[in-house]
Amino acid sequence: MSYPFPIPTPGTHTRPFWEGAKLGKLMLPRCQDCNRVHWYPRFLCPVCHSNNLEWVQASGEGRIHTYAVQHLAFGPWAKEAPFVTAYIDLNEGDRMLTVLRGVDPNKPQDIKIGARVRVEFEAANDDMHIPFWRVVED
Amino acid sequence: MAGQLSMAAAIVGAAEANEIGFLEEPVTALQLHIEAIRNLSIQTGVPIAKIEGVFSTGWSSELCEHLGIKPKYIDTTAVGGCSFEMHVHHAMAAIHAGIIDIALVSHGENGHSARKIGGGGAGNYGRGGGVASPAQEMTMAYGLGSAPSNYAHAMVRHMHRFGTTTEDFAHIAKVTRDWATLNPRAAMYSKKKHPFGGPITVEQVETSRLIAWPLTILHCCMVADHGGAVLVASPKVAAGLNTKPVWIAGAGESMGHSNMLEMDDFTATSAGISSTAAYTMAGLGPDDMEMAQLYDSFTITAAITAEMLGLAPRGEGHLLWKNGHAAPGGRLPINTNGGGLSFNHSGMYGMPLLIEAYRQLSGTAEDGINGDKGKQTSARTCVVNGTGGSLSTTATLVLVADD
Ligand SMILES: [Zn+2]
Repeated sequence: MSYPFPIPTPGTHTRPFWEGAKLGKLMLPRCQDCNRVHWYPRFLCPVCHSNNLEWVQASGEGRIHTYAVQHLAFGPWAKEAPFVTAYIDLNEGDRMLTVLRGVDPNKPQDIKIGARVRVEFEAANDDMHIPFWRVVED
Repeated sequence: MAGQLSMAAAIVGAAEANEIGFLEEPVTALQLHIEAIRNLSIQTGVPIAKIEGVFSTGWSSELCEHLGIKPKYIDTTAVGGCSFEMHVHHAMAAIHAGIIDIALVSHGENGHSARKIGGGGAGNYGRGGGVASPAQEMTMAYGLGSAPSNYAHAMVRHMHRFGTTTEDFAHIAKVTRDWATLNPRAAMYSKKKHPFGGPITVEQVETSRLIAWPLTILHCCMVADHGGAVLVASPKVAAGLNTKPVWIAGAGESMGHSNMLEMDDFTATSAGISSTAAYTMAGLGPDDMEMAQLYDSFTITAAITAEMLGLAPRGEGHLLWKNGHAAPGGRLPINTNGGGLSFNHSGMYGMPLLIEAYRQLSGTAEDGINGDKGKQTSARTCVVNGTGGSLSTTATLVLVADD
C-alpha cells in the first residue's frame, strides 16, 4: 500500500536532511561558530546569525517535551484518529514535531513527558523517508 | 501633527541578497529576505539581534522566527509595490513615538525562481504552492491542522509543569458561559438562541466531545460570523464628539514564534513582553486593572494570558475563574461579553475584544447593540490582549475610562 500521508517537498537547503533520512540517519544543522544545533533548518544560525552552517549526524534519541491526542484530524490523517502528536526534545538540543509511536492514544495519561524516544524512518517513496519517533524503555 | 514626524528617523543602510536576477539555481523568497538582512547587518554593523521592529509585506513573523528576533513592533502592510515606502513611514512613526529605535524593512520575492519551485515561505501570501517554508517542510507530515490540534500541546505542558488539571481549565469555560447568559448578543446566550446555549457545568465541559485531548469541544471557541469596527481619533477630535472617549493609555506588541515548533516554553506567550510595554507606556500595572478582555480561543489561552499579563502568578491563571474573581460580581471581571468561547469568534477574535472593552469603559454596555443590552460593570481600567497564530503573536492595550 502506498504511503497515504502528506509528503514534504524538500526546500533549497534541506537536501542533506532527506539524503540522511534515506540512510536511516538523523541529520541536524549545526552552527560552526557557536556549535549550537538548531531545528528547523535555517539560512542563518538563529542563535548567533552566522551562515557558517554544517550538517551533523545526530544520535536519533530524545525525550517527550509535550504531547496531545488528535481526535479530529483532516485529510489522510482523519481516519487515523485518534493518534498522538508530540514535540521531542532532541539530545543535541532544540525540538522536533512527530506523530508518536509505541503509545496508546486511548490512554493519554499513561504517556509520560520526559519519556525516552528514538527516531525511525518510514519510506514514503523512493526519495522521501519520513522521521517518526517511538517511545523506548528507559 | 505632520511636522512632528519630520526628521524623526533616517535610513542608515541598504543591502541586497547575495545574487539577484535570473538565478540558475532556484531560490526561495525567504532565502532572498534572509541573505539581504544578513548583508545589511554586515554593512551597518548592526547585529541582527538588535533589530526591534520588522516591517514587510506579510513576512514579518516568519522573518522574526527564522532569525530569533523578539520584536517590539510588527508591521505587515501589503498593499502592492509602494508598501515598502509605507513601511519606512510607519517605522519613522514608531521610532518617533519611542517604541523602537531600530527598524528593519525587508523584501524577498523570487519572481523568476517561483516558476520552477513556487514561492517558498509561509509569508508569501498570494503566491502559494511549491516549496514550503522550512518550518512547514518539517512539520507538515504529522497530521496537525486545526488550532486545537496545536493548542492541546500547551495545555498538556501546563498540566505537567504546574500540576493543573483539565477540571481547572473547565472553570474558565463555565464562568465565561455565565457571562454569555447575561449578554443577549452572545451566540450561547440561551438554549432558545442556540441548542447548546445557556448555562453549562464544569462536568459538562469535562465530558463533552474530545477534539484534541485534553481539549474537549467546550474548551474551544466557536467558529461563527462577526463583523465590527472601532474608531480611533486624536484628543482634539475626541473632544468634539458626543461619544465618550476611552483612552489608550498603553500599547505593546511582540511575537514568540510563527510555527509552534519554535515555541520555547509552551506555558508562556509573548504577552509578557507586549504587556510590559503597554503597562510601562501607561504608567500602570496589572494591579491597576479592574477588568480584562483576553483572547480565549481556548481555555488554556485565557489562563496563560492571565499569567503573562501579571493578573495571576505563573501556573495560577485558572484560579481567577475557579475562585470566582473573573465571574459576574467578581473583583476582576474577564470576558464580560461571553468571550470567544461563548459570545462569538469568527476566526480572528481581536475586534470583539475591543468592542467589549469600549462598551464597558464608556459605560454603554447596557445601551444595546441592535437592541440587545449587555451587562455593565463598574470597571474604569481594562487590559486587552489579543493572541494570534498558535500562541504566536500578541498585542496588549491598556485602556482607561474618561474622567
Ligand atoms: Zn551560531
